[in-house]
Amino acid sequence: MTTAKTDGAVGERPAAPATPAGPRERERMRRRAARRRGGGWWPYLFLAPWFAGLFGLTVYPMLDSLYLSFTDFDLLTPAKWIGAQNYTHMFSDDPVFWDSVHATLLYVLVSVPLKLALALGVAILLNRPLKGIGVYRAAFYLPSLLGGAVAVAIVWRQVFGGDGLFNDFLGWFGIKGQDWISSPDTSIYTLILLAVWQFGTPMVIFLAGLKQLPKDVYEAAAIDGAGTLTRFFRITLPLLTPIVFFNLVLQIIDGFKTFTPAYVVSNGTGGPLDSTMLYSLYLYKKGFTDLQMGYASALAWVLFLVIAGFTAVNFIAGRYWVHYDDDID
Amino acid sequence: MQQAARPGEAAPARRASTTHAPVPQRPAGDPSRTLREDPVGHQISRRTLFRTAGGLAAAGALGATLTACAGGTGAGSDSGDLTMTWWGSDERHAAYKKALATFQKNNPKIKIETRYSGYDGYFDKFNTQVAGGSAPDLLQMDTALVAQYARKGILAPLDSYVGKSLDLTGFSKTLLAAGTVDGKLYGVPSGIGVNQLTVNRTGLEKLGLKLPEREWTWNDLKAVATQVHKKSGGKIYGVDDGGGSTLQCFEIFAREKGQPFFSDDGKKLGFSADTLQEWWEFWAGMRRDNASPPPAVTSAAHNDLTKNAVVIGKALFTFDSGVYGAGGSITDAQLDFLPTPQGDWSGAREGNFVNGGVLLSATKASKKAADSVKIMDFFAQDPTAIKDMRLLRGIPPTEKARSLISAGLNETDKLNMAMADYISQRVSKATDALPAPVPPPGGADQIWDLLFQSNLAVAFGKKTIKAQASEFFDQAQSILAG
Repeated sequence: MTTAKTDGAVGERPAAPATPAGPRERERMRRRAARRRGGGWWPYLFLAPWFAGLFGLTVYPMLDSLYLSFTDFDLLTPAKWIGAQNYTHMFSDDPVFWDSVHATLLYVLVSVPLKLALALGVAILLNRPLKGIGVYRAAFYLPSLLGGAVAVAIVWRQVFGGDGLFNDFLGWFGIKGQDWISSPDTSIYTLILLAVWQFGTPMVIFLAGLKQLPKDVYEAAAIDGAGTLTRFFRITLPLLTPIVFFNLVLQIIDGFKTFTPAYVVSNGTGGPLDSTMLYSLYLYKKGFTDLQMGYASALAWVLFLVIAGFTAVNFIAGRYWVHYDDDID
Repeated sequence: MQQAARPGEAAPARRASTTHAPVPQRPAGDPSRTLREDPVGHQISRRTLFRTAGGLAAAGALGATLTACAGGTGAGSDSGDLTMTWWGSDERHAAYKKALATFQKNNPKIKIETRYSGYDGYFDKFNTQVAGGSAPDLLQMDTALVAQYARKGILAPLDSYVGKSLDLTGFSKTLLAAGTVDGKLYGVPSGIGVNQLTVNRTGLEKLGLKLPEREWTWNDLKAVATQVHKKSGGKIYGVDDGGGSTLQCFEIFAREKGQPFFSDDGKKLGFSADTLQEWWEFWAGMRRDNASPPPAVTSAAHNDLTKNAVVIGKALFTFDSGVYGAGGSITDAQLDFLPTPQGDWSGAREGNFVNGGVLLSATKASKKAADSVKIMDFFAQDPTAIKDMRLLRGIPPTEKARSLISAGLNETDKLNMAMADYISQRVSKATDALPAPVPPPGGADQIWDLLFQSNLAVAFGKKTIKAQASEFFDQAQSILAG
């Protein structure tokens, strides 16, 4: 078989078979087509463990907690339906709820921007061809690995306690410190500091983003005489906005869910005076200590809606400041 | 609450490989589109990558906040070993284990699995286990919580065993009342609990001060505590802040005025707002005169015995019974003991009372109640168990037990036991005193916590005494109303 010269335009496309396929060939094609359409039951067999996890450990407990949020449930005796009472009580008659909302918002809104700024700053410093750079990167990432650990929170308690290291440090400069952990005006800031210190995860993501930035743009900018600051604000930051956005969304969600540091640093009390009563800690206390699991479930759903709200706002606001390079046409 | 955003983290790769057709080829006519090719040959634009990754990670993280908060009730454990739990200090753990080893030798058929921890989180865990159907068969119970669990039907009534496999000879009626709820026995008290003030005697003597008399008043306490601060050159305060201290402190103050902490039906507070204000004013004065430490010290010790003002050397008197007694000593100083002061000393109106230390209770869902009762009986009557436990669960409940251990006691234990004896005698001699407190109603622990927090709010200057007292009554009432 020969191809006509005039057919050159479609030369790359596989030509239709000149002769009809035999029955075996047709069967094979049918099966291949069925596979492409995703037919057959056996892929689901392989997915079954995942589905079991999804429905058993996520969907069912979520729906169950939605039901429980409308009940009075003390964990020990059967749940009683009470309608929206948990929700109305929360907003109208629970001062600790508002304390926890206040502490959590303060925690998230202060710690996340600081953490991202620090993460980006360090990522830029670590994005250099230095000798032993791997060691530095590991060293800066380390706090994040340890971050969730109870041990670190315990150390924090000691460092910022009345006779702690931090006050010793202030003492060198002749400043008389106070007990930072157990004063209601400062305790939340020790938690914020702990969160900011764990900037490793967003830092690694920033670092990956920085590696992708096109070098030629910087070279062009250098020729045009752009200084370090100009290059950062006019090139690096705009090109990184998708990554800033990604980190922002995740860190805000993580921030709202913070539990361990508050639990450990305050000895499970959320004190002093509810100043470290982060929302998750209050939720835990209500459910497992005060035996109000129905109320705790309602709290969880409010948290869910608040996080969903923040995330939605982020995505909407993101349209105005996040630049994807495929937008530049 | 600590679930990681597992589905979200895995999501980007999965999403990318299913939504993009596997055509490793640049779309014609759009040269400016930047495409990234992954090793398998799939294409992902950065926009898609970050949008889907962000969105899915967000969704996964959101889901995790909800799934942690559901549960259901179930039946008790049915097979395997008998499980027993308790909380306490290392000394108490060792003593329990030693005693149980003897029990095992005599009862090789009963297999016991023990789990123990500190008090923190002990009941959180128990609640979860009950809900999940894996509650222990036998547990150490808190006198403050026994009524709550008994009324919810979690604990097994023990009356049918008493006099048969459970020998309670020598237990006084007042003592058994600590484990009795609505007329039924739900826990065997481990010992006499009295509220003593623990004193660092070494520290006091170093400052040239004498131990106050046993029959003393709140004003005497103030006098000696102020002296401590003066003589130590301002380094040490006298007594840790008792303004938010409940059982050991305020309850005694109110009872002496004829006001119990909770009303008999457990539906109201038994004391008046005036009593509470008078109490907080006394402690405000103590802080003003440096007889008590500033609130940061008090606040740091909340739920943390190692930060107690006496343990860290910031005070010489403490109301926290944990510094010595049930948990063993956690300071090196020679300690001594005093009864909680009274307001107006007549002896007839006694605010002090006797309770049951800790208790041993069996769970209702357990199928090993008979074996659990055998262990309770062993701890109540067996000489080796009594000797092993010494004072680690309170002053032993029976005369026989007290005489068994008296020979082997160290100096501090002896002083502790003598003071407990003295207080319980004083309580029984009082003619115009309230009966022993009713078992605390559900929500009691929230109200005690509220008292602590309220005292701190006053001490930190966030609220006036008057405003905080009325807020306390409002919130306590709302907790008791359920």
